[in-house]
Amino acid sequence: MSGFDAGGSQLDTSWFLLLAAVLFILGTIGVLIRRNPLVILICIELMLNAANLTLVAFSRQLQNLDGQLFALMSMTVAAAEAVVGLAILVDIFRHRDAEDIDDLSELKG
Amino acid sequence: MAVAGGIGVISFRQPIRSVLSLVVVMLALAVLFLLLSAQFIFVAQVIVYAGAVMVLFLFVIALLGPAREMGKSRLRFQASLSALFVLALFGLLWAMLQGVTYRQPDKTVDMSLFGTVQSIGVGLFTKFLYPFELTSLLLLVAAIGAIYLSRKEGDDR
Repeated sequence: MSGFDAGGSQLDTSWFLLLAAVLFILGTIGVLIRRNPLVILICIELMLNAANLTLVAFSRQLQNLDGQLFALMSMTVAAAEAVVGLAILVDIFRHRDAEDIDDLSELKG
Repeated sequence: MAVAGGIGVISFRQPIRSVLSLVVVMLALAVLFLLLSAQFIFVAQVIVYAGAVMVLFLFVIALLGPAREMGKSRLRFQASLSALFVLALFGLLWAMLQGVTYRQPDKTVDMSLFGTVQSIGVGLFTKFLYPFELTSLLLLVAAIGAIYLSRKEGDDR
């Protein structure tokens, strides 16, 4: 692939970055076109994982451990986000039957 | 394999199949983390994501019952608009990837210690101590918030 020069690293960082970009794009597509709020949360998890892959890939490229530590932090934040998002979702489903996220366009319960 | 799982996440109609394909993506990414000599992140990915978070999603799906997705949405232009947006975003990312120049590491470190539990722990408790403590606070707040949100109606104590 032209333009992708890994700078002599034995593990080609650019492929990891490309994979992360593709996964992030897939997550974005999912958030944009899916209607189920649960699936949208799943796609957000997918995007966060792609970002994690980028962090770890650059951590390996620069041989600097900070990227891995930051990936650990973002993993924690993703877990917290999933917990709160799912709790909100269960609460919404308890009040009304919302299979389409467009039904939830007003804030008043 | 990760890409196939990702396509599965967004293309299956039933949420349970989306979750199971997300597990495939998580495990493939975990193997890639191991390839990038990040052993601790690998273990954390398998336990936290493929274990805990996915079980949480499966519990919520089991709680809510099988909710099938309606085909048509009310916003007519959403599909074409999102296709445009995604194409623009991919072009941006592609241009960014073309422009990356990879820098050689400043100092060579011992790769046999890179990414082990020991080195992660040392980094976490020296350089990243403050963010680490903030993370624990964030987890506490998330746990309290989840408990508050999922309590029964009128159960004020």
